[in-house]
Amino acid sequence: MSIPDRTRQTGSERAAQLAPRYQFAVLAAIAAVFGFAVFAAMFALRAGPETADILAHWAAGLAALVTAGLIWLGADHLVFRPLGRLAARARLAAAAASEARIDAAAYPTLAPLPDALDQLVSRYLTARREVQQSVASATRRVEEQKERLEAILRDLSEGVMVCNLDHQVLLYNHVALALLHVSGELGLGRSLFNLISRAPVLHALERLLQRPAAGPEESTLPVVCATTDSRTLLRGRMSLVLDTAGTPTGYVLTFADVTREIAELSRRDTLLRRATEGLRAPIANLRAAAETISFFPDISPEQRRAFEDVILREGNVLSERLEALDRDYRSLSASHWPMTDIHSVDLFSWVVRNLRETGGPQVTMVGLPLWLHGDSHSLSHVLECILRKLAVATRADTFDIEALLGDRRVYIQITWAGDPISSATLDDWSDEPLPAVLGSPSLRDVLTRHGSEMWSHAQQPGRAALRIPLPAPIRVQFAPTLRPEMPSRPEFYDFDLFQSGAAARSAVSTPLRSAAYVAFDTETTGLRPSQGDELVAIGAVRIVNGRILTGETFNRLVNPGRPIPPDSVRFHGITDAMVADAPPAELVLPQFKAFVADAVLVAHNAAFDLTFLQRKQEASGIRFDSVTLDTLLISAFLFPEFDDHSLDTIAGRLGIAVSGRHTALGDAMATAAIFVRMLDLLEARGIVTIGHLLEASKMALAIRMKQAAF
Amino acid sequence: MRPSVLLVDDEPNIVLSLEFLMKQAGYDVRVARDGDAALQAVAERAPDLILLDVMTPGRDGYEVCQTIRANPAWKDIKIVMLTAKSREVEREKGLALGADDYVTKPFSTRELVNRVRQLLADEHP
Repeated sequence: MSIPDRTRQTGSERAAQLAPRYQFAVLAAIAAVFGFAVFAAMFALRAGPETADILAHWAAGLAALVTAGLIWLGADHLVFRPLGRLAARARLAAAAASEARIDAAAYPTLAPLPDALDQLVSRYLTARREVQQSVASATRRVEEQKERLEAILRDLSEGVMVCNLDHQVLLYNHVALALLHVSGELGLGRSLFNLISRAPVLHALERLLQRPAAGPEESTLPVVCATTDSRTLLRGRMSLVLDTAGTPTGYVLTFADVTREIAELSRRDTLLRRATEGLRAPIANLRAAAETISFFPDISPEQRRAFEDVILREGNVLSERLEALDRDYRSLSASHWPMTDIHSVDLFSWVVRNLRETGGPQVTMVGLPLWLHGDSHSLSHVLECILRKLAVATRADTFDIEALLGDRRVYIQITWAGDPISSATLDDWSDEPLPAVLGSPSLRDVLTRHGSEMWSHAQQPGRAALRIPLPAPIRVQFAPTLRPEMPSRPEFYDFDLFQSGAAARSAVSTPLRSAAYVAFDTETTGLRPSQGDELVAIGAVRIVNGRILTGETFNRLVNPGRPIPPDSVRFHGITDAMVADAPPAELVLPQFKAFVADAVLVAHNAAFDLTFLQRKQEASGIRFDSVTLDTLLISAFLFPEFDDHSLDTIAGRLGIAVSGRHTALGDAMATAAIFVRMLDLLEARGIVTIGHLLEASKMALAIRMKQAAF
Repeated sequence: MRPSVLLVDDEPNIVLSLEFLMKQAGYDVRVARDGDAALQAVAERAPDLILLDVMTPGRDGYEVCQTIRANPAWKDIKIVMLTAKSREVEREKGLALGADDYVTKPFSTRELVNRVRQLLADEHP
């Protein structure tokens, strides 16, 4: 067993600090023995036989012993113990763990030392606060800029990739992943050319690099390239990333999928050619035959019959060609209009809110939300305009709006109590211009662009509906999307990750700072797992590089398979009804294990929570054998002077505001915050690896067990 | 009694052919040039079938169809809509508003006569 050197030093330091107390005790003992000896000697010299004298001398000797003992007790109580507490306070302040000032009144016997120390602490705290404030505001600014960048990247409809000059990917957004057909996460540092054809990118980069420093209009170049699987044609722009000295360090590539546009353009070309060339021949034949019959009425009946045949045949050919052209034309989507997949909820909620805020009719969204394809802006104005007109025409005060799934289209249906609107009225409405839309198109124009036509018909008795068919979405309507798997505020990039490459090293030698942790907490039906108490909730949050990732949490209710006692419900607020539909522990624990992966577990009073997890080992088939750290033991190690190591007390001691206590996730968050703050204190004590911390925790546990034995 | 057909279209060239074809097929044929005239003709004497162009002047074919369907007394009148609009969505609108069939121009005259015959046969077996 090897105890870290620094820990051993700290132990001997503490022994040295306690020494005066023992020295004084020894002195007191010597004084007592000496006093007793003096009286004993006097008694021996006197050698008188009087019993009273003998008794008096013995009593005096005993008094000396007692006095010396009392002096020692007094000194210990009045000086040495307060001195220990005072030193602990000072150490806390020095270790940046507590904002608490030193209360001189609590150490009356040590005056004026506490006062002087308090002044020192106060000066120190002020200075530290100033430093912290400037650090905090700088951090906040950086954080704000980072959030802004993340938001911009996330909301861009184009793919974005940032690469260094070795073409390694440093940063990307989700659209880029989708366009490049990458499922899941893209490993940072991978070569761009695993994803995109090499030549066009190199060509554009070369041209940019060779260019002398030019004006801003010259700083980007268009790039057209394909994905390496040749499925997608991309069009975008490249610009250089320059450092402060103006030297290129990498480049930014923004791109969009133009496969469809290119394909549609060429189909459009073909169609136009067929329309002009393909109709020319039958029309020529038809016209020649009709003119011949008309100009030469005297031709023989056989000849006339032949020409009539031509007219019949070519008429049919024309009809067929027209049908074919028309069919192909309709199959071309209106791609020259800016159309995208729209979620019906997005479309409807804008309309509903806009109408509510401007005193329009009350509209309720109903039904299952669907994707559809179109121009969101013009469509939302069409819906608003129609609903306003409906409100006037029908005098209904409430309308339902719903998206309906058709075979080849998605229908927007508005229903109300009353009669349908006549086709002529809808026709009149269709001429209404929409001034808020670019180019003030009429309602009819927008609908035509979407290949749509609206109508109104009676629904069930007393109700009527208006239907607007719209193009179906390009995406699969109910396919699971990539997005929900991602945390709500994803950490797309983390340049620190470059440093944690060798994660395969054993946990023991892993530096505390860079280890990945999962802080977790459980809620249970009671405190006695051995008497049938069970899990009712598990909450957890991930900690990476000293940052609590609030976007990466685990929060599940567990069905305990038994009633939750009222006392426990009062404690955590989880009732039988709440867990009735929750999965049992056997199903939740594998999910939790997957969330933990190979992170180090952190819990407060970890043994309690671990017991519940381990009791389900058989049933769930999941072993929780991760390295586990206990914030209670770490606190006992860091603050041996204090007895209370409850979560709330430690949080108070470390100046951490805790909210959402007594929910599994809330307590996991609090534990995580405490643990992250403790990392600083541990480092100051020389505890820098997981191995160090485990040893220190073991020592603290041993001491606590001994104390409990007394 | 011969089944009656009302022909509603403002395009004289097609009316010429259709009137001839329907008479050849043995129907009693009347012609209306616009939507109002059509409704008036129906009110005077309900036909068995209407060949109804969508793009009639005044009230359009959709509205004539809707008006006829709104009157329960006329629920047995068959309506075949004729149109130069070929999109699927117009066909759907026509059927949603109560038409029995929907034929796009240009059409095969023989096929049209067949459809009319079929619809009337359903009613006059």
